[in-house]
Amino acid sequence: MRDTLRWAYALNQWNVRLDVFVRHEDQQRALKTVSACGFDTIELASGTGRWDNISRPEVILTNHGSHAGFLDFLRRARVQGVSSMFWDPQAPAEEEEGYAFRSTADPDDADAIVEWSRPFVDFVAGVGAEQLVVRPVGSAWMTPPLDADGIKRVGDVWNRVGELTSAAGIGLAVHYDCLGAVHTEAELTGLLDATDPARVGFALDTAELTVGGIDPVAFYRAHADRVAHVHLKDTRHADTGEEYRMPGAESTMLKGGAGRRIERWFFELGTEGGLVDVPGFVAALREHDYPGWVVVESDHGGNPAELAMLNSWYLQHELGIAK
Amino acid sequence: MTAPERAIKWSYMDHWRSNGPSGPVDQWHSRKTMSAFLKQVKAVGFDAIDTFDFRIWQMYGDYGGPAKYQEMVQDHGLERIVNTFHAADYDVRNYAPHVPETHEAVFEDFRVTMGRWSEIRLDNIIVMPATLFYDMEPITEDKLKYSAECWNKVGEITAGFGVKLTCHHEFFCGIQSEPDIETFYSYTDPRYVNLFVDTAQHCIAGLDPVALYDRHAHRVSGFHFKDTRHVATGDDHRHRPDSEIMAPTTGKWFYEMGTDQGLVDFEAMMRAVRDNGYRGWISVEHDKANKEGGDYSESTAISRWYAKNVLEEIYR
Repeated sequence: MRDTLRWAYALNQWNVRLDVFVRHEDQQRALKTVSACGFDTIELASGTGRWDNISRPEVILTNHGSHAGFLDFLRRARVQGVSSMFWDPQAPAEEEEGYAFRSTADPDDADAIVEWSRPFVDFVAGVGAEQLVVRPVGSAWMTPPLDADGIKRVGDVWNRVGELTSAAGIGLAVHYDCLGAVHTEAELTGLLDATDPARVGFALDTAELTVGGIDPVAFYRAHADRVAHVHLKDTRHADTGEEYRMPGAESTMLKGGAGRRIERWFFELGTEGGLVDVPGFVAALREHDYPGWVVVESDHGGNPAELAMLNSWYLQHELGIAK
Repeated sequence: MTAPERAIKWSYMDHWRSNGPSGPVDQWHSRKTMSAFLKQVKAVGFDAIDTFDFRIWQMYGDYGGPAKYQEMVQDHGLERIVNTFHAADYDVRNYAPHVPETHEAVFEDFRVTMGRWSEIRLDNIIVMPATLFYDMEPITEDKLKYSAECWNKVGEITAGFGVKLTCHHEFFCGIQSEPDIETFYSYTDPRYVNLFVDTAQHCIAGLDPVALYDRHAHRVSGFHFKDTRHVATGDDHRHRPDSEIMAPTTGKWFYEMGTDQGLVDFEAMMRAVRDNGYRGWISVEHDKANKEGGDYSESTAISRWYAKNVLEEIYR
């Protein structure tokens, strides 16, 4: 996209389970699709195990030999680089203590989580990406309620990781998601207050905030100085019934297993009935000369190629961005 | 500063399938699915679409006619409808180019058809110039001559509407071998009968599409750029209703250009397009892309990626 804003596309929707997005030619098809849609930069998401050869840093390097080798692989499809990588330390990884569950809310886990971040910090820096984007805390239904001290403990973990990212010359951005234990606007603001603005930024996801009951445009305007990264997608639903508190909310809420049984929460830009004011949000980014990446996602939305193409059309024809 | 005019523009031939709430559908399922189709085609950089003749009923029923449907196409950023494919259901009893007694029915069909399309500008009306192979065999010089005479007259009719008549040689039609194609064109009038080169169909029939194009470049009025991994063998070209679907050797004949193990040399094809001074539209096609796990959206994006990053480096 030829624009003053920098646009990237997230590959997460292609990699929906560990063994479906492994062959290099399949990855090349996704990369070419993204490229044809006008995006020359991608965001990666963390994974685990030998199948996740586009998700787990050590496995990527095993597959491609080096950071440069991986970049060469991307450039075969005319994708020039990586904007960012998403990492959730609460998601158990084979590489870290054999699928141990750890949480930033538990002070006993802090040292391990900081240590676990190192491969991601090294990889993000090695491929010339700009942001390590992290899930700051686990799901609310799995986490005891967080008071101010609890949020401070979470923030302290990310301050320590922020020291590593700063030393590596990259940014760290904590990402809000609609299931997280940091859920309300007050809690989210508390987390930002508990982190060092020099080392920890905010990854604003327009749909996740909207589902969580927070207006992304207003939140951005209030915290523009902290927003270091953006995920742009739409939703048709807000979680008006506190479904995020249901046990197993990843399935019961986000896959329609219970509650209002909504099977799909996230949608392409321009979707009918979308709740996100996408033009208003992008205009706000421009007003503030937002310097970071805007990563478009087709997260849990449907056919990944179709959604990338629909998102591209929206950027070109509704927002007037030249490809 | 305006961009220099391109010699080549890219059109998308409208085969499509997607999965919706009611199961697999094509883009004509609803205005919503049509809009999603047009957005995707435009998003990756196609300039226009081609369509099928038989869609005209949905254009009238759902959109108010070809002009109204084309307005919708244009509302999505695409230039227009460039070509239509006249998919006739040939029948040797009453509609067969090699059977002179049926020609008047063919002519009347085109008089009516061209009238229906006359509210928009088309470049080509594309036809398969023969019946199914086994409805025409043995292929004789007389049958090729009768077929040529039929299309000469049809071409005169379409020219009266400002549209070129152009022939697309499916590998399973009666005029698909190199000598038969050459004989057929030797009897046709170059003012009225053009060649539409489908790269995959000719490859499947065992022809080199680049060489065929070079021989007939002066009367080539368009292309379907698509790939294949297979050449027809044995009786592959003798299956009803058509061998693209029913040939026992091959479940999927067509792939998007740029596919691994593709038989079409697209770079040579594009050099030939350049060297012959062709200017105008190239249509991209990958019919039945969804077979065997394929996906139309992805194939469309990848084919456009290939056009932009490989073919436009040769000629644009």
